[in-house]
Formats: sequence, C-alpha cells, structure tokens
Amino acid sequence: MRIIPQIETPVSENYPAFEENLIKLLDGMDAIGLNRLNTKQSLPQLIIEQNFGVNALLLCNDLKEKHNIKTAYAFNMRDKNRISVLSDLITLKQTGIKDIIVSEGVHPLKTEFRAAKPVYDIDILGLGLILKRGLISGVPLDFFNFGAAVAASASVDFLKVKKLIDIGADRFFINYTGKDPYEDIIKYIKSKNKEVFLHVKELNISGSTDDFIKKVENLGLDGVIIKITDEKANVFTHGK
Amino acid sequence: MFLTEKKALNEIDEAIKKYKKVGIIGCASCASVCLTGGSKEVKEMEKHLKAFGKEVTFTISIDEPCDKRVLKEDIRFVEDEVEDTEAVVVLSCGTGVQTIGEFIGKKVIAGTNSKYIAQTEHIGEYNALCAGCDECRLNFTGGVCTVTLCPKGLLNGPCEGHNGINCEVFEDKECVFVKSYDLLTKYSEEENLNKIFEPRDYGYSTTRTKI
Repeated sequence: MRIIPQIETPVSENYPAFEENLIKLLDGMDAIGLNRLNTKQSLPQLIIEQNFGVNALLLCNDLKEKHNIKTAYAFNMRDKNRISVLSDLITLKQTGIKDIIVSEGVHPLKTEFRAAKPVYDIDILGLGLILKRGLISGVPLDFFNFGAAVAASASVDFLKVKKLIDIGADRFFINYTGKDPYEDIIKYIKSKNKEVFLHVKELNISGSTDDFIKKVENLGLDGVIIKITDEKANVFTHGK
Repeated sequence: MFLTEKKALNEIDEAIKKYKKVGIIGCASCASVCLTGGSKEVKEMEKHLKAFGKEVTFTISIDEPCDKRVLKEDIRFVEDEVEDTEAVVVLSCGTGVQTIGEFIGKKVIAGTNSKYIAQTEHIGEYNALCAGCDECRLNFTGGVCTVTLCPKGLLNGPCEGHNGINCEVFEDKECVFVKSYDLLTKYSEEENLNKIFEPRDYGYSTTRTKI
C-alpha cells in the first residue's frame, strides 16, 4: 500500500526553502522505509494542493523540471469557474503533468475566508463531462489521470462514485472523516479496475501513523494520502 | 414570499441626509409579512425621519409595488405629494425600490436588505428553498432543491465533506443529497438516482432581465 504526502503551497514562507524542504521530506520518506517512487511509475510521489498560497501549478512544474519529482495537482471547484479551471488543465497538458485530483472543496464558511464568494460553477462530474466530450481543444479526458475526491459514508456516495466511473474517473480519494469508509464502495471501485485511496489529514490521525495504516490496511485500498500542514515537521520527517 | 430585513437606521440616515422633503412607501405584500415594510413599519419610519429633522410629505402602503400596474393605480392617491417630494424611502425588496424609482423619477432610498425567496415557518422564521435558478430540477431530485439546500449548490451528488448524514457546512442539517436519495428511493425513481446533470447554464441568469 502506497503512502503519499499531500501539502498545500506556502503562503508567506520563502518559496525556494519550501521546495528544498519538500525534497528533504521525500528523502526522509526513503529513510523510514517508505518507497520513493521513480518517475516511471504511475503514481505521483507528492500531491501539491492549490489553496491560497503560491500557485501550485508552478510548484508542480518546478519539482518536475528541477528535481524530476512526479507530482499530482490537487484543486477544487470552490475557487475557480470553468474558464479558469480549463485554463489550468491546458497549462497542465502543456507542462506534461497528468495527475489531477479534483474535489468540490471546503466551503469558504469553513475557512478563514468566510466572506469569499463560493464559486462551484461546475461540480467534479460537470468537469468530467466537459473533458470527456473533448470540449477543450487538444485536452481529452484520457490525457489525465483523473482523480476524484469523494465521501464513502452513505448510500448516496455510492451513486456519485458510479456516475464518476461512468464519466471516466480513474482514481478515487475517499475523504476520511473518522469512521471507516463503506467497504462496498471500495470493492465496487476496485471491481471497475480503478484505484482507490484514503485521504486523511495528519491532524485527524489519532495515535500513531503506523497504527492507523494497520487499521485501514484490510480495506482493500491502493494507498493512503496523508495531508501534512508543515513540510518540515510532520509524520514523515518524525518517522512516526 | 421574498424575504427582506430592515436596514440599519444609520445607513438610511446617511443616504437621506441631503434631502429635506421625504416620502415613505411600504409594501403590503412580502415586506408586510416579514415585518419590514407593512403599515406598522411605515409608521415607525415616519416617526424616525421626523425625529431626524425631515419633513415627511406622505406615507403609503402599496399592495405590490413591484407590479407596475398596481403601482400606477395606487400612486395616484399621493400624486401631488410625490411631486413635492425630494426623496422616497421604500420599504420593500430591491425590485419594489427600483420599480418605484423608475416610475416616479425621484431619488429612492432602500429601507431594507433583500434576502431570498422564502418559505414562512412562523413570522420571523423563514427558510430558503428555491434559488430561482432558471432550470428547475425538482422533478428529478425527489422534490428537494440541491441548488438551494446544498451550500455549494451541487447538482450531481454530495461533496466529500459530509459525514454520512449531515452537511459539512451546516452540521445540524441533513445533507440534501441524503434526503434526495431517500425520497427518490421512496418514490421508486431509480432512473433519477443515476441521472447526471449537465453543468448549469449561467447564460440564462445573465440574460433574464426580460422574459
């Protein structure tokens, strides 16, 4: 089972120092026995999430060009309308970054930007439809490894997963809310030969990371995404 | 009903400070129901403006100030007073304010903030159920509007943030997609459970000034 770190881009920190710390982070993962993937393998080594920090596309491209690190670009439907999202996808295509992880996104009311206009112009299924139909010239859906963030704690989530598979989603990232996801949903995703990961915030892991991984190991997942908040001090650098 | 709330009086005072002769028009429909523009609120506004040193030239409550036909009929009762008025405080929704402003050709001052199309639970307690989104999907959702009741206005299923029952944003409220699922199952509308909605066409709302 793969364990992949995810991090948001920095807000005020020195950007080159942040980049350097990410390299150390990946080296640290090697040191504690987590396999660092080479770029020929299909999974990304690191997930860079766009929130309100430095442009994540820039960072993904830098890591690829300067350090040969394979990243996935994680973005949400909250902050950008379809024009802006499609612009990002065209940029990704141009830079050769294929792995995308799309979520609906945490509502501004649950962030420090309570007054921000929530966009949600299209939902992730809508984005999939646009890509599937080839509506952006030269950017077909199958260019990307289209990852979708979903919940898996209600029957209605099953329906959303089915719809996402219908429109061509490749990977699923189940948001961990404190209870185990429905195993039926995981089995269904696997039965369709799609990859499925559990996405957990570092701070939501009670106890040690090892214990958490052991706990979810039998769910049939392809991996766990651990979202860290600090690139210098986290479960990977501490070797937890 | 279209829900409004009273504006802070200091905001109205600021907007009206350079005018001496002021009229007040209330709305006897929606604004009356939500206690922002009925005859009682018109009287209160009159009292406030007089205390603020204004000469109140007229007061009137119009049944539906957003309906030009009704407005045209009712405004005749105060035609001369309107002529002698510099500005009018309107206690109605934004549609009423603009309709009156256009019709009388005088400065209008909004006395309320316009909120949303509302269901009345009790006086003072309202729920937003419809966002007037142009493309009603209620026939496919079991009769609950996900555009309005999901804070993200999603169409094709819940976000990743719900906990299996409740909404990520309003944690004491059921996720509307969970509710929709239950209703569609109850009505045996399996075909609608799997329906994928196209992205919304916002061109409709941009061009809806005339229908």
